[in-house]
Amino acid sequence: MVGEREITIEPITRIEGHLGVHAKLDTDARKISDAYAYSPMFRGFEIILVGREPSEAVMITQRSCGVCPVPHALSSVIACDQAYGVTPPPMGVTLRDFVHGAEQLYDSEIGVINLEGPDYSEVAIKKFNTGWWEEAQNKKAERSGVHGFATIADIMTALNPLAGELYLRSLLVQKTAHNMATIFGAKHPHVHSFVPGGIAKINLSVSDIESYLTLLMRNVAFAKELVAASDDLLDFVLAQGYEDVGAREKNLYSVGAYDDPEAYSANYGEMTDWARKRMVSPGVILNGELVTTDLIEQNVGVREFIGRGWYSDQWQQEVETDPAGNKVALEHPWNKRTLPKPGEYAKWDSKYTWVTSPRWWNWKGDGKNHVVELGPLARMWVTAKAGIVPASTGNSLKFELPAALIPGFKCADKMDFEWKIPAKPNAIERVRARAYYNAYSACCMLEKVMKALDLMKAGKTKVWTRYEKPEEGIGVGMVEAMRGSCQHWCVMKKGVIYNYQYQAPTTWNASGRDPDENPGPYEEALINSPITETGDAAGWKGIDIVRTIRSFDPCLGCAVSVHIGKKIVKHELLPFATPL
Amino acid sequence: MSLEEINLIWLEGQDCAGCTISIKQASNPTLIDILTGAIPGLGGLKLAFHPTLMFEWGEDAAKVLIDAMEGKYDPFVLILEGAIPDEGKAGEGVFCGIADYEGKLLKLSDVIDGLAKRCAAAVAIGTCASYGGIPHGNPNPTGAKGLLDYLGRDWTGGLGLPVICVPGCPPRPDNMVQVLGQAVLAARGLAPLPELDEWHRPVALFGSTMHELCPICGFYAEGTDAHGFGETGCLGALGCKGIISHCNNTTWVDGYGGCTGTGVPCFGCTEPEFPDPPTSPFFAKAPAMPFIIENITGMLAHAEMGFERFKPIIESLLPQIPEFIEVLDKQMEEEKDKGRKI
Repeated sequence: MVGEREITIEPITRIEGHLGVHAKLDTDARKISDAYAYSPMFRGFEIILVGREPSEAVMITQRSCGVCPVPHALSSVIACDQAYGVTPPPMGVTLRDFVHGAEQLYDSEIGVINLEGPDYSEVAIKKFNTGWWEEAQNKKAERSGVHGFATIADIMTALNPLAGELYLRSLLVQKTAHNMATIFGAKHPHVHSFVPGGIAKINLSVSDIESYLTLLMRNVAFAKELVAASDDLLDFVLAQGYEDVGAREKNLYSVGAYDDPEAYSANYGEMTDWARKRMVSPGVILNGELVTTDLIEQNVGVREFIGRGWYSDQWQQEVETDPAGNKVALEHPWNKRTLPKPGEYAKWDSKYTWVTSPRWWNWKGDGKNHVVELGPLARMWVTAKAGIVPASTGNSLKFELPAALIPGFKCADKMDFEWKIPAKPNAIERVRARAYYNAYSACCMLEKVMKALDLMKAGKTKVWTRYEKPEEGIGVGMVEAMRGSCQHWCVMKKGVIYNYQYQAPTTWNASGRDPDENPGPYEEALINSPITETGDAAGWKGIDIVRTIRSFDPCLGCAVSVHIGKKIVKHELLPFATPL
Repeated sequence: MSLEEINLIWLEGQDCAGCTISIKQASNPTLIDILTGAIPGLGGLKLAFHPTLMFEWGEDAAKVLIDAMEGKYDPFVLILEGAIPDEGKAGEGVFCGIADYEGKLLKLSDVIDGLAKRCAAAVAIGTCASYGGIPHGNPNPTGAKGLLDYLGRDWTGGLGLPVICVPGCPPRPDNMVQVLGQAVLAARGLAPLPELDEWHRPVALFGSTMHELCPICGFYAEGTDAHGFGETGCLGALGCKGIISHCNNTTWVDGYGGCTGTGVPCFGCTEPEFPDPPTSPFFAKAPAMPFIIENITGMLAHAEMGFERFKPIIESLLPQIPEFIEVLDKQMEEEKDKGRKI
């Protein structure tokens, strides 16, 4: 037992929600030999949803996460569109995406600078990687013309919590992205305007869109600095032997985002088609190969196992096929039946978490269940490889952001970006992809603003489609949240929710061992990961572990949700179905 | 107790971090202004514990809680975001653990018990922390409740204040910094204590209903209802609960957004019952009784308002009436005279 140490890190701070990691460290080889990720918090959202109007799920499910509420609202409202059979008008789809894009901007700024940034700040480097500091002071920053920092050490100083320039400015800039979301969302977090059939926005005017654009340009200006500073900093850290920290196989999953407003429909059968027209592509990469970009195939392949979650299962094959006629697995969320069963803490060889174990079943291919990683790295990778969108080259994403002279920002020129598919998924590349996704989202929203003005010119200002709610319906909504795919499934009977299941990206990423004993993505990324932390092993705080976990940008609040049996909660209903 | 340096201990229970994300948007003052001590009177505040923002993690973070329970962070304000579950319902498991210290999982409820004994004041941020919010939605699977219920209405902190609630899901960004700011200024003798209503909400912020403050309330007054989303008119028929909600969300922050002004019915997210009736079903009409009462009292009030507005005109006419009568009399006399002559 020479050279082994166990470490439990709970709370892992600077993430959303309650997450802990228990790891075994091989202190001689300086690597992590085993790891368990777990969440010790449970609320039971899916239980609270049963018996309510499906449209209420739009409001309630986003409250599982205050960091990424909009993808929940959007996935939920897409599931409702399908269940109710109502397609919103193009302006309704565009305004929903305006809110979604705005949230991605704030979320990536906060993620890279305020949550993950402090791990690479002067304070952290001097404490945990003492050897790097001197080199960082001497290392000139290649892109200082864009971000204004002379050396890598200057960037590190700018990331110091509550003191560094980037840290403080990011907090100010992210406010503008929230403002963008509130113009059409009424408030943020927890936007109240998403309704089946469109969006609740009155008095829509060109000046609303102008306000949005004005605020967007501040984020465009900041994106240039964010990407340039991240590139310089992360290249430096990679060169310190960080290539393998948090590395795992190339198994990646994306559902895409930012719809084509004319193509989007509430018809499940057309989902493959309209999802491929998204500005961020859907798709699954297994062992480095893109196996599909068909969102219907992806939906059918979703299986949620109890794994090491504190639940007991009770499978029932209630949905045999999807609306397109594909056979649906017993463990598909449309069929999922789960009961919470709280268990003892820290039983690593038994149940140890409130997170279940979703896996992607390659049903048209090898027929196996795969552990896939979700997040900006996955969706940039898929989009770059899929070659569907104009920015995609097959191995990179190329796009540009326009010139903008705005006081307080350092780069007024137009800037070209190219995000290249990296050698492997690892902690550093996840952070870098998040920074680039900020810039790519800004680029997509600029295009959407032009689209919205076109719609205004054409007089297509309708934001909502009137409908008659059917008694029964089924739907699935899938869209990318900052930290990965957000997926909602709704089964409506007698006009109310019969079964509602949803999976946040963190449900996948933070999942524990599955029935085949395969660790979840966090665990995979940690196991065999090298340790760079300096000092005596007995005093290690686990900086490499938290950097790896934070590179996934965890959001535990939404990962833990559960449905209970078939119990219909009595709920007095008034017919919103056809507004008066 | 010396209040030059005050620690803030912000716990997250059954939460979503939405209140934290919201307070980051505050403008008057901003969170940075508070934490960097830029505002006179509000200096000396240190965020000793905040799961989403703090630098430390793991054992170092857990140690802050242990030390705070032992008094090493006095004086401090306890701030809670998220609800508190009933761990008695979790059997051998746990519904909300917040830290591991020396191999033992610290439960949220245990930490609150420890901190409530010595905190200077306790502030519940958001509807979950105030009254239970979403986690306590029917059928309340985890027995969740808010701090007001958990500590009790009679509980008071070191400064003699009861639990202060800042509800909203999440609360408006400025509401949170304003309440925290006033509490600190009051503790230092620089401002009056906030007056609280029966649900321990500051009256200055929550004394009016959303209906009273509604930016598009004129449509209600003129009787124009919206019958579909995107239609301009009172949102009552689409489910607006503004009439029963104590809220000030006329705009969200910096003049942007705001529920009803954007066209979104109010869902009553500041109310103790949220998300259950009468705040839900969200898209069903609000209870009729408040409207009926408002209409009856409104009719009388309108009559009085009308009278008050016309009073100056009537009064200005009054002195002229005798003169007017005199003129009339004269004319009548003249007419009579004419008749006589004929």
